[in-house]
Amino acid sequence: MLRPVYRCILRLHPPGFRKRFEDEILSIFDTTATRPDQLRLLVDGFLSLTRQWMLRSEFWHGAPLRSAQTAPDGIPSFYSFDSFRPRTTAVIHGSVLTLTLFLATCYGIRYSWIHVLHVRIPEAQFPRSEWLPETRSWSSQSSVSSRQASESTAPLSPLSRAPLPLAQVPQRNEIADTARVRQPYREAPYKREQSLSTNKVPGLPAATNAPSPTVEILSESALDAGHRHLVINGAIKHLRQYYVDPAVAGKMAAALRKHEQNGDDDHVSDGENFAGLLTQQMVEVSRDRHLAVVYSQIAIPEQEVGPPAELIARYRTDMERTNCTFETVKVLPNNIGYLKLNSFPDLSICGTNAIAAMTSLNETDAIIFDLRDNHGGVPSMVAFMASYLFEHPTHLDDMYNRAQHSSLQSWTLSPVFGNKLADKPAYVLISHSTFSAAEEFSYDMKMLKRATLVGETTAGGAHMTRPRRIDGHFTIRVPDTTPINPISKTNWEGTGVTPDINVRAADALTVAEKLAVTELQRK
Amino acid sequence: MNNNPHALLPLSPATLHILLSLAAEDMHGYGIMQEIARQSQGKYKLGPGTLYDNLQKLIEREWVEELGHRPGDDDPRRRYYRLTSYGRGVLGAETARLADVVREAQMRLQIARPRIVKPRRA
Repeated sequence: MLRPVYRCILRLHPPGFRKRFEDEILSIFDTTATRPDQLRLLVDGFLSLTRQWMLRSEFWHGAPLRSAQTAPDGIPSFYSFDSFRPRTTAVIHGSVLTLTLFLATCYGIRYSWIHVLHVRIPEAQFPRSEWLPETRSWSSQSSVSSRQASESTAPLSPLSRAPLPLAQVPQRNEIADTARVRQPYREAPYKREQSLSTNKVPGLPAATNAPSPTVEILSESALDAGHRHLVINGAIKHLRQYYVDPAVAGKMAAALRKHEQNGDDDHVSDGENFAGLLTQQMVEVSRDRHLAVVYSQIAIPEQEVGPPAELIARYRTDMERTNCTFETVKVLPNNIGYLKLNSFPDLSICGTNAIAAMTSLNETDAIIFDLRDNHGGVPSMVAFMASYLFEHPTHLDDMYNRAQHSSLQSWTLSPVFGNKLADKPAYVLISHSTFSAAEEFSYDMKMLKRATLVGETTAGGAHMTRPRRIDGHFTIRVPDTTPINPISKTNWEGTGVTPDINVRAADALTVAEKLAVTELQRK
Repeated sequence: MNNNPHALLPLSPATLHILLSLAAEDMHGYGIMQEIARQSQGKYKLGPGTLYDNLQKLIEREWVEELGHRPGDDDPRRRYYRLTSYGRGVLGAETARLADVVREAQMRLQIARPRIVKPRRA
């Protein structure tokens, strides 16, 4: 009678102990003849059961642990110099304490303004779609790629959901025609939109512009007062909901409404001019050059979809043809590296070019980044390029999204394996045309005192945008995200980045070279 | 493993008795229990749960080694255990420690032994 009970008790022991000693212990029970002794063994069995489960964690799973465990291939996988094992309660207390300290440290680093510890703590990520498309782009300086986007695929949906670059890549002929492209701030952005949109884009397949039979084409005469009113309402709604500065959004909304009531819009009957006019009215109030209302002849689908493969392929081709806008990479006299970069292109497509360019300058004694013709790009490429100038991961900016009320930190990817530029003198050439992501690079380097800025005060566009659909033919690019530099606690929106050495943009390279030579001689 | 036996002292009563039981000859678990009862004249009885818990610990410390089953034994389920040379060293160190304790205790008890003084009459 007692034997089955005793056997049950043994069965309840941890597997390791049971496999090892069950038979032996049962043989002792079988040897015990008298009932009192068997009862005593039962009590001992209960005590053993409690002890094994409470204190002998090494028996809980399979065979008991040995000081040296052997892996299946015969190589010891772990060796302990001591058979000591901490108590279970001590392990629990230690785990709780460790977790508490870890969380406290993470919290402390995240919210500390002292950036001594270069630990990268990932934060809540925005959806990719919020960041890559159109952000950092300078809408008024559209390249062939962006023009395609706006003309052939509707500006709202395709670009806003794709890992496509924001970088606006000048074509070869546009690079040659820099004088026209580089005077954007003398004229209203919408005018540039107009002038560009009337041009036929070279190399663009005719089929891309031609609407498919099912595509709805808005007749220009269809833009009546009712439609204009709907577009203005939509623009105001998106501005109030998403624009980075609610107060400015309110002012812009009021301005749009006032212009409408004054009849300032009545003379415009075609969509493109109306979009330009609204853009002008908004920019007059906000001075935000990332803002734009865009008109598309081709109907914009209600549901945002990814960019067409053709657009991605074309962008990739453009990048290959223009060496990803790494226009010049060379070593100047006195072993000074020179990199002329005309955008900060998509990292996933142009990462190899960036690495190649920086590697070719790795042995130089100083480096000059020429961003005088750089009109923007993606923040990830900014961080990637900046990585070469630091030994440790360095916090560049917090990208604050007003609608989501959250921030995304931007850090360098330093250290870069084999990089020798981290401690070399660096110079950044800037001009009035330097815009957006190029300003971010310049501003961050200035705040971190890592580079000397030479040239002119930049254009002053810090925000990041994404297109939002107003109706079937109008979208609005609303800047919804703004960078906040961890050192200055602000950015360069509206003010631009001021150079350390204020000279004409045309003279910036010469001055920077002299500065570099002086610095190298001083060392 | 700590190579200095003195660092492992003092031993628990169960450990001491198990080592002592195995000092003379190899034994199986039941034999060890009986031997401990004999040594303590029935005052200290070790249950199988406590015995095998300690045996496992001693095997891990390499003070005791397992010999496995012995052919011809009455019960084939029994496994035999042997004291290792290191375990013997530990037992020797513990025995010496206890001897010192006993000697010290005897000496102190002798010094502190109260004298029987006959009361004087005034």
